[in-house]
Amino acid sequence: MIGLKQLLVLLAVLMPGTASAAGNLALASTVFVEKAISDRDGRVRMVLSEPKTVVPGDRLVFILNYRNTSAATASHFVVTNPLPEAVSYQGTPDQRALVSIDGGRVWGNLAALKVVERDGTVRGARPEDVTHIRWTLNQPVPAGAKGTLSFRGVVR
Amino acid sequence: MRNKLKLLATASGVTVAVLGATPAFAAGTASGSSIVNNATINYQVGGIAQTALVASNTITVDRKVNLTVAELGTTTTSVSPGQTNAVTTFTVTNNSNAPIDIGLTVAQLTGGAAPHGGTDAFNVTAPALFLDTNGNNTYDAGTDTAVSFLDEIAADAARTVFVVATIPGTATNGQIAAVSLTGQAREAGVAATQGAVITATAGANTAGVDTVLADVAGTDDAITDGRHSARDDYTVAAPVLTVAKISRVIDDPINGTTNPKMIPGATVEYCITVANAVGAAAASNVVITDAIPAQTTYVTGSGWEGGTVAAAVCSGGTNTATFATGTFTGTLGAIAAGATETAYFRVTIN
Repeated sequence: MIGLKQLLVLLAVLMPGTASAAGNLALASTVFVEKAISDRDGRVRMVLSEPKTVVPGDRLVFILNYRNTSAATASHFVVTNPLPEAVSYQGTPDQRALVSIDGGRVWGNLAALKVVERDGTVRGARPEDVTHIRWTLNQPVPAGAKGTLSFRGVVR
Repeated sequence: MRNKLKLLATASGVTVAVLGATPAFAAGTASGSSIVNNATINYQVGGIAQTALVASNTITVDRKVNLTVAELGTTTTSVSPGQTNAVTTFTVTNNSNAPIDIGLTVAQLTGGAAPHGGTDAFNVTAPALFLDTNGNNTYDAGTDTAVSFLDEIAADAARTVFVVATIPGTATNGQIAAVSLTGQAREAGVAATQGAVITATAGANTAGVDTVLADVAGTDDAITDGRHSARDDYTVAAPVLTVAKISRVIDDPINGTTNPKMIPGATVEYCITVANAVGAAAASNVVITDAIPAQTTYVTGSGWEGGTVAAAVCSGGTNTATFATGTFTGTLGAIAAGATETAYFRVTIN
């Protein structure tokens, strides 16, 4: 699998997402389909492409680009992303991310979350249980600074 | 951390909706549905919370066309020569994330390995396709309807299809006839009408709903060809009967029963043996008829049926075989595999 972070920087430039800007910040969300391509030597490379053909089972990479467009420093920076209903969470390379499996009420690392089944049994939360992902940046975002957040999902 | 999910679910209708929204279908998210991803930033500037910022991204789920044809059951269908309504059963499933019609074709193998072992050796007569209309996975003649395609099959839905054929009377015990059923994805949309063959969207991707063929290779089709197929077979179980006729002299007017000879006035016993081979199917309603030689006269009341044979001497059975207009008739009834039964009678030489 490719180094996601390196790719994201490139793709962020190439791909105009649906961006919005309010006052001091710009935020753009883009989605790519991740596909395995075998080259002539039989090596498998993961390639990100525009999500024009998306069918169940496809792997998606969601990318959020933010930029502080103001002259002031932004702090208490929290990005919340509910998982689309049709997408099953597959993880994020970002250690700062916490997830929720109950619609955003309780947050934690996936390994720490537990699910109580209908019959009363308790099991560890699985990626497909995730309903929300949230990044909390401890460092303030200075004027002009930008960053990228990402997570993977698979189309249910 | 233990998440009191149950408690939350009862406390919050919103939570229930979110949790219950997870599609659990093998076919996956429906074709044409949108995946909307919203990200929200909350932040502060100078210690003051700013208006949250939302970024949205929408993608459309394309149509993934996939279907499977599988034999229902794991054994061959045992048939008799001449049998009508000989049935093999298949399940046809739409694994696409959209409704489709499924065109059906049945074919017969010409030689080659049969799916349940052995080699295809003959063809059945007029294999026809029937839909399991009442959904009981059993062919009901007169109830289940003939089909050439499956109409408007929803995502993840399956139908049972029967191949119904006649076994030629010339088929022999142990012979195998293999059939294959192929389903082809076709456009749904008009009820009771078979739609056009579904093809993958050619050329570059489009922003709209594209079609991707995702089927795997079946027994008689290729990968991603919009088709899938499976095979099943018929195996003939027939009796293998061997008939023999033996005779012995019982007595003659000169020697009596001591070393009797075939002279006029001698009594001769004819015995017809019918053997069914080991491994064959049981035979039923076996009847022996024998027109006796013109130079002989039937000994009234000498007819036996259902007897046995040992060392070329027939015995046992019941003394109920009949004789009329020059012909002996012995009824043996059922003869199991490996069994031998006899009918025997006596005549005098004219």
